[in-house]
Amino acid sequence: MEEAVVMKNVCKDFKVLNRHEGLKGSIKDLFSRDYKTVSAVKDVTMTVNRGEIIGYLGPNGAGKSTTIKIMTGVLEPTSGEILVNGKVPYKNRTENCENIGVVFGQRSQLWWSLPLIESFKLLKDLYMVPEKEYDDMIALYRSLVDIEPILHKPVRQMSLGQRTLSDILAAFLHNPAIVFLDEPTIGLDVSMKSKIRELILGLNKEKNTTVILTTHDMGDVDALCKRIVIIDKGMKIYDNDIDHLKNYFGSYRTLKLKLADDTWEEMLIDEKTTDVMDVIMEKQKEKKIKDVKILEISTEEVIRKIYEGGTK
Amino acid sequence: MRKRGLKFYMSIYRKILIQDLKSKMSYRADFIISTIGMIMTNLSGFVTFMILFHNFPTINGWDYYHMLFLYGFSLVALTPVQCFFDNNWNLRFMVQSGDFIKYCFRPVNVFFYFMSEVFDVKGLGQLAFGIGTIVYAWIKIGIPVTPLVILKLIVFLFTASLFMIALMNFAAATCFWIKNSGYVMVIMFRFKDFAKYPSSIFEGIFKVIFTFLIPIAFIAYYPSLVILSPDNVPVLSWISPLFGLIFFYLSYKFWMLGVRKYDFTGS
Ligand SMILES: Nc1ncnc2c1ncn2[C@@H]1O[C@H](COP(=O)(O)OP(=O)(O)O)[C@@H](O)[C@H]1O
Ligand SMILES: [Mg+2]
Repeated sequence: MEEAVVMKNVCKDFKVLNRHEGLKGSIKDLFSRDYKTVSAVKDVTMTVNRGEIIGYLGPNGAGKSTTIKIMTGVLEPTSGEILVNGKVPYKNRTENCENIGVVFGQRSQLWWSLPLIESFKLLKDLYMVPEKEYDDMIALYRSLVDIEPILHKPVRQMSLGQRTLSDILAAFLHNPAIVFLDEPTIGLDVSMKSKIRELILGLNKEKNTTVILTTHDMGDVDALCKRIVIIDKGMKIYDNDIDHLKNYFGSYRTLKLKLADDTWEEMLIDEKTTDVMDVIMEKQKEKKIKDVKILEISTEEVIRKIYEGGTK
Repeated sequence: MRKRGLKFYMSIYRKILIQDLKSKMSYRADFIISTIGMIMTNLSGFVTFMILFHNFPTINGWDYYHMLFLYGFSLVALTPVQCFFDNNWNLRFMVQSGDFIKYCFRPVNVFFYFMSEVFDVKGLGQLAFGIGTIVYAWIKIGIPVTPLVILKLIVFLFTASLFMIALMNFAAATCFWIKNSGYVMVIMFRFKDFAKYPSSIFEGIFKVIFTFLIPIAFIAYYPSLVILSPDNVPVLSWISPLFGLIFFYLSYKFWMLGVRKYDFTGS
C-alpha cells in the first residue's frame, strides 16, 4: 500500500449553537434549534504518499486542525470519503491510533508528573511495543538528539521546547506509519526549532514515517517539506511541490535596500511587469541607499502571495 | 489489531497507578499535608454525625447504631468513585479547553484512559473510617458474623459503589452537551449526602425520585437493608446488584456517546 492518506471530497460542517447564559440558558440550549453552520473543510481531495513529509498550510481558521482531527479519527466527516492506512479512521478509531502519532500544538499528551522515561515505558505498554523495538527506538533517539537532560525530568518541570521535543519523541515511539504535527514549533526559540527539524527529518529518513505538518513557520517548510498543500477557508487552493510554486513565482524577486540608518527595506517585485533597476533609481531619489541585494522569492513570500491572491 | 483484554487493562492500570503513587510520594510535604487533611475531613464528618444523631430516638425502627452502620456503609461505598473516578471532576474543564482530545489519540478505551489518569489517595482514609464504623456498628447491633453475611456485605457494597460511580458519570458527561454542567456535578454530589440517611426521608414522591430517577437510595439504603433487616428485605434490595450493573453500563454508554457526539472545539 503506497498511500498513507486518501481523501475524496471531504467536507466538515460544525453546527454552532447560539448559546444562552446561566443555568436556565444551558437547559434552553439543550432543546434549542437556534444554530448556524460553519463549514470548516470544504470538498478537500488529496492523497499523501508513504514516507512523504507534507506541509499542510493555510491562514488561521483555514481548517487545518479540523482536517487532522478527521484524519486521526476523532471527528467524522460530514460527507466524503477518507482512508488512513487503508482504513476509515472514525470507524476504527482505536485501530487507527495504533498506526499514527499525534502532536497537537502546545498541549502535552504525556503524564504531567512523570519523568519522561516513565511516560515512554507506559506508552510502550499501551502500544504493545516489543522490548527490542523499543530499545532500538531509544537508541535511534539518542543518535539524533541529546535526550539525556530530559529523560529523567517530569514533564511539568520542562521548558516549552523540551516539552514539545518530548511530545514529538513520544509520537514516534511506537513507530507509527503516519505522524501528525499540528504547529509543533509554535513559540520555540531558533535553536530548539532547528533541533526539532533535524529530529523529524532523521526519523522520517530512518523509519520512512509519513509526516503531515501544519505550521506558520516557513523555516519548517523549507527544512522539511518537498510538497505543500494549502487550504484557505476550508478549500484546497494549492497542492504541489514547493519548487513548482517557486517556478510559478519565478519572475518575482525580493529587493532589499540598505538605507542610511543601516536598516533594510524589503519589497517584492515581479520582473515581468516592473524593472528592478527602475525601482532602485526611484528609491534613490528619496533616500540614500548604501547597499542593494536582489534575491529569489522566499517561501514565506510565495505563501503570502497565495494567501492574498489565490492561485492554482 | 492486537487484542487488548481485561488483563491488558488491569496491567496498564496497575503500572500507571504505581508511577502515580511514586511521584506523589516524592513530593513528601504535599503527601503528608494531604494525608492529615484527609484524616481531619473524615473526623469532622464523623463528629458531626455523632452530635446530630447521638440523642436521637428511634425512627421507623432505626436506632443510632443502625444509622451508624448506614453511615459507614455509605463511606465505603463512596470510596471507589473517589479513588478511581475522580477525574470526572476535571472532565468539564478539559472538554471546554480542548485538552480532552489527547485521550482520543491512544489505541485504548477513552473512558478507561481518561479515568486512569487520576488516582485519589484521599479516598483510602475514607475507606478505613468507613470500615471502622461498620465494624463498630455491627458489633453494637449484634449481627451474627457468618460467611454468607460477609459475602452479602461485599456484594452490596459493590452494588452501592456502582450506583455512585454511574451517577457521577452521568453528571460529568452532561458537559459534552451543556456549558454549565458544573451545576449538575455539584448537585449530584450533594445528593449523595442523602445516602447516609435512612428510609424516613424516602417517603412519597421523594421515594420515587430517589429510587428511580436519581437512584441514591441504592447507594446505601436498599443494599444495607439486606444486612440490617434480613427478615424483611424489600425486592428492590435483592435486585439492586442487577440494577447497579445496568445503571453503570448505561452511564458508561452515555459518557462514550458524549465523546462521539462532541465536536472537539479548540485548536
Ligand atoms: N468544534 C468546532 N465547533 C465549531 N466550529 C469549529 C470547531 N472547530 C473548528 N471550528 C471552526 O472551523 C474553522 C477551521 O478551524 P481549524 O480547523 O481549527 O483551523 P486552523 O487549524 O486552520 O486554524 C474555524 O472557523 C473554526 O472556528
Ligand atoms: Mg489549528
